[in-house]
Amino acid sequence: MMTLAEDGVSLFLPKSYDIVWSLIILVIVAIFFYKFFLPKLQSVFDERASKIEGGIAKAEEAQKEAEEAKKKYEAQLGTARVEASKIRDDARAEASHIISDARSRAESDAAQITANAQRSIESQQQKAMVSLQGQVGVLATALAGKILGSELKDANVQSDMIDQMIADMDTEAKK
Amino acid sequence: MIDAFSAGAVTLAATSMDMPSIDDFLPPEILFQGTPFAINRIIFVRILATIIMLLVLGITAARAKLIPGRWQGAVEWIVEFTEKNIVYQVMGEVRGRRYVPMILTVFLTMLVFNLCGEVPGFNIAASATITLPLVFAIWCFVQYWIAGIREKGLGHFLRDEMFPKGVPAPVYILLAPIQLLELLIIRPFSLTIRLFANMVSGHLILALCLSATQFFLFEVVNKAMMPFGIITFAAGAFMYLFEMLVAALQAYIFAILTTAYINMSYPEVD
Repeated sequence: MMTLAEDGVSLFLPKSYDIVWSLIILVIVAIFFYKFFLPKLQSVFDERASKIEGGIAKAEEAQKEAEEAKKKYEAQLGTARVEASKIRDDARAEASHIISDARSRAESDAAQITANAQRSIESQQQKAMVSLQGQVGVLATALAGKILGSELKDANVQSDMIDQMIADMDTEAKK
Repeated sequence: MIDAFSAGAVTLAATSMDMPSIDDFLPPEILFQGTPFAINRIIFVRILATIIMLLVLGITAARAKLIPGRWQGAVEWIVEFTEKNIVYQVMGEVRGRRYVPMILTVFLTMLVFNLCGEVPGFNIAASATITLPLVFAIWCFVQYWIAGIREKGLGHFLRDEMFPKGVPAPVYILLAPIQLLELLIIRPFSLTIRLFANMVSGHLILALCLSATQFFLFEVVNKAMMPFGIITFAAGAFMYLFEMLVAALQAYIFAILTTAYINMSYPEVD
């Protein structure tokens, strides 16, 4: 029983070799945690945090870039739209110009053709008139000669009469 | 007469049941006998546990990746638990930062050493001698004295501790010595004995349950006693799990009390 009690007390008395080994191990373990384990993990934590922050910044930058690109694209689209409408207007104006040109050309052509026709008609009429004058004179002289016989043998009278007749005809025709 | 009786009792015990005893905590020296570097069974377990812990955690830290795997995640969880839930919760971040490595050392070492009692083959906590918790408690003691002297100066620190404000003057006759005793002896020894006694009792109960199981199932002469073995086995299994809880809990208590004692040396703000 005595030995048991002594054992009980000695349980709470540090042994010298136990102190040595406890201290050695405490120092080793503390150096390990202070100098290697915690700094190493901490650096990983920091790197992770900075990477996450960097990722967020990068995403924001990408977002901004995308927005800028969108704005640029929209501006380009706007100018393109304006340009297209301008081109369309130009084309429309040109078309109407071409049409009006063609119309005026056609009109002038038509006028010229009409004038030409008029002129040729007039000249033909003139020609017809001249030939008719000759023929009518001859015919009338012949006819009158036949009717009047010798009365009209004098050439001067003859021509006077004919001229008179033609003048009359003219005035009648003009009426 | 008494000697003969006790010798008889011992032989009787040896033939009937292998009882655990406090001798388990005073094992014979097996290496370097008689020198300051003598190694007994518990110290052997302690050295082995240290090597395993340093290897495992060292490899984990050396291979630590930005994207952690399961194991690294678990280790990181323990580190963050120590940092945030033990140190920062008690001291705050500004004060606590310098003590994170210390508390992490205390917590992880105690956790691993305490759990050795539940590792088959070790079967005894590496912290199950009075000296190991004492050494850690003295580290805590040194740290809270240093913190007190650095933050307040020795005189101011002692005055704050021994003569707390708001107490009627005559009470100081009683209070001041008690406070001084607490500062010098009670804090480190309560830390030490709390842990050590938990490890001793845990080992004794667990070993008792398991040796009783062995006895009742295989060695008992009267076979009618065998059902007892099932009960003691169930109790042993329960105690095994319970001791794992105790191991973790005692490591946590040791760490959080160390933090709290150091924090008490700081002047009160707010």
